[in-house]
Amino acid sequence: MVPENNSAIVEHEATTSKISADQIFYLKSRGIDDEGAISLLLHGFCKDVFKTLPLEFSIEAVKLLEMKLEGSVG
Amino acid sequence: MLDIQNLHASVEGKEILKGLNLHVNEGEIHAIMGPNGSGKSTLSKVLAGHPSYNVTSGTADLEVNLRPRNLLEMAPEERARNGIFLAYQYPVEIPGVPNKVFLRAAFNSICKFQGAKEVNEDEFELILKEKCKLLELPTGDDDRFVNREVNVSLSGGEKKRNEILQMAILNPRLAFLDETDSGLDVDSLKIVAEGINRLRNKHNAIVLVTHYQRLLDYIIPDFVHVLYQGKIIRTGDRNLAKDIESRGYDWLIKELQ
Repeated sequence: MVPENNSAIVEHEATTSKISADQIFYLKSRGIDDEGAISLLLHGFCKDVFKTLPLEFSIEAVKLLEMKLEGSVG
Repeated sequence: MLDIQNLHASVEGKEILKGLNLHVNEGEIHAIMGPNGSGKSTLSKVLAGHPSYNVTSGTADLEVNLRPRNLLEMAPEERARNGIFLAYQYPVEIPGVPNKVFLRAAFNSICKFQGAKEVNEDEFELILKEKCKLLELPTGDDDRFVNREVNVSLSGGEKKRNEILQMAILNPRLAFLDETDSGLDVDSLKIVAEGINRLRNKHNAIVLVTHYQRLLDYIIPDFVHVLYQGKIIRTGDRNLAKDIESRGYDWLIKELQ
């Protein structure tokens, strides 16, 4: 569930969260670049989901998420 | 430090700023007042680089290392790294992200840009504690303000204080505080105003965007500007704010006609 643009709505059966342009702008206006902003927002969203995974999968999931983000933005 | 000349800006095709001039030097405090819809928030958003606001003409230069740089060409994060800060009227909620994770990411991005060493969690904890104390925010370990999700479970007043906490941590050269006083009760207003006063120094500048003279009882401005229909129609000292408090804006608008 990696949103391709700022207005994408990411959903999960237990959670609904919206990565909005306003959230990205808020983070950028604090000096954080696009990649950092999207990474923070995605981690925030995925945190709840990862919490339910067994530890080894949880660690791997976080790593995978970071790999996917590298170079995919900007 | 900041020089705005004949700035015109629009939102969704509608022109809001119509030839605004503003000059801010380091060490100064400016207050911008004006009736609803005069363009106060638009000015803040334009200077922070919000993508929904289009600058159609005019200039805004920010002095960086003693040289003027075109602020309008910089990305929002670049503006922040060069010392621009906007305290939002409506701070944005970021679910799932603890406040201190966000604050450290912002702090480190600015450290990195300035060539300073980035800080780890323990080092940041010390910085955070000191700044929380400055703003009289809770620093105890349970239910700490900084452990909560960014702006999600905070009251209106706490959100405003969180904006000032960010300002304390990022130490900007030029801070725009967009209606930071609205939604604060008298006690919170005092604490926030005292915090802002502690962040003042001779190298930074603060622009207060406000509806009420009340805030200006605690933070004494050097200049008070009245914004009306996208232009500054009057500049004075703090007495201008007092006149507005007692007489409203009508007399100023009438003088224009």
